[in-house]
Amino acid sequence: MSLNVLQPKPRLTGREIARIVLSMSLACLVGAAVLGVVYLGTDRYRRASAAAGEREAVRDMLGLDAGARLIEVRQYLASATRQVVYRAAPFGATTGAAHEVTFTLDGALAGERDVPAGAPVTRDLAPLGRMFVASRAGQPAGFVVQGETRGYKAPIRLFVAMKPDFEIVDMRVIETTDDPGLGAEVAQPWFREQYVGRTAEEIARLDVTKDPMPEDWKAALVALARRAPDGPARHGALLERERTKPIYAVTGATISSRAVTEGVRKTVDHFRRRWWLLAPHLEGSL
Amino acid sequence: MSTVLHPGPAPSARQLILNGIFAENPVFRLALSLCPAVAVTTTVLNGLLLGVAVLCVQVLSSVTVTLAKRLIHPRVRIPVYTIIIAVWVSAIDMSLAAFTPALYAQVGLYVKLIVAFAIIISRLEVFASRQPLAPTFFDGLGMGLGFLLALVTIGAFRELLGSGSFAGIPLAPGKPLLFFALPAGGFFSIALLMALFNWVERRTQGGRAGPAKSAGGHGV
Repeated sequence: MSLNVLQPKPRLTGREIARIVLSMSLACLVGAAVLGVVYLGTDRYRRASAAAGEREAVRDMLGLDAGARLIEVRQYLASATRQVVYRAAPFGATTGAAHEVTFTLDGALAGERDVPAGAPVTRDLAPLGRMFVASRAGQPAGFVVQGETRGYKAPIRLFVAMKPDFEIVDMRVIETTDDPGLGAEVAQPWFREQYVGRTAEEIARLDVTKDPMPEDWKAALVALARRAPDGPARHGALLERERTKPIYAVTGATISSRAVTEGVRKTVDHFRRRWWLLAPHLEGSL
Repeated sequence: MSTVLHPGPAPSARQLILNGIFAENPVFRLALSLCPAVAVTTTVLNGLLLGVAVLCVQVLSSVTVTLAKRLIHPRVRIPVYTIIIAVWVSAIDMSLAAFTPALYAQVGLYVKLIVAFAIIISRLEVFASRQPLAPTFFDGLGMGLGFLLALVTIGAFRELLGSGSFAGIPLAPGKPLLFFALPAGGFFSIALLMALFNWVERRTQGGRAGPAKSAGGHGV
């Protein structure tokens, strides 16, 4: 039997071909069924751990204590009615009520109602974005907004954390498929700390340079990223000098550095405009 | 039923398991799947997780092939084996992503690569497609355990020397011999451990020269 490779194979008959097709199809069908069952069994846990990771990232970025409330706002586009729908619910909630606010495309309020949280999203609603709003005593304490930008190869997903006055407090690259050692280097902690402390107006005018980064600024950013005790002080001392300067690109990742900067700029800009529309309708949820 | 590899009476479960761990250890003896063995073994935990994944895939695939061998047309057996391996790898991949997300973030890329591991498909072709259920199960278990133990040993060796820690717990300050944590150091680690493996086996078997079964490794 182990020598059957060496023997000349008989010519294939139609019957033989049919058996081969049947054998392969059977293998594929059974395999697909097994995968379907495993997917149904594990997907719930995968989502739960992904959500737990997100919650951790959001709390960490805003430096929230356990007393702060966190709501998640999801934004959808209803293309049939040409409306933008926002749904706000406590982060991770699958029960209770979500507050739904609907605007027309030019920003006029079209409706407001409560829907069950965790209700399946209908097919005519296309997801547009997500944001997390932290609040203390009914007042917003900070925002984390998910943004997306065109990386070197595929979209880069990022989280931008802001104070209530839209000053940047943190930025994280959540997902990138750019090359390790090149484009993926924009996830370096010292790179992202460059955005911290800049106001929304400064972000709107932000540019990227290939110039080398000053040594003292790099050291301060590394200290800040490592949460060194003197990190904030060293960063603060240099921030006034650097805040009007462009972002220093990572060597070998100029395109991704530009992409991330553009992503942060757009995310902050869009969010500011949305928030002024949305805030009066979310007061009950905070 | 006897094969070229195992003439004579059918081997016992214990013999089959020990065969996978020592006499035909996939990494140290057959020198198969060295590429992943180098890639993931910078730490003990990575080696352990990938080893467990390979063990599960090997046992599940071997058992599936031996149960379904009558349904598999011999002319397309290799593609069908590949489908079977791919199904189990995807199932393990989804389970690891769901239940061990932190570890999965580090070795997830390599788990998908198990589909192309030479050791698994070679056991299907050499053993599972010719033997009944019980020996196949123990052969898969032995080979999987052999691979697991090899990965854990290499991981421990490289983590101790390269990072000065064990399972993430620092034992020595700094990085004693960073070379062993780098890819080239991985091959040297395997060579050193393979030599040790041969030496120990020579000693314990009273000079009985281990048959040089492997003709060198190839494949992933």
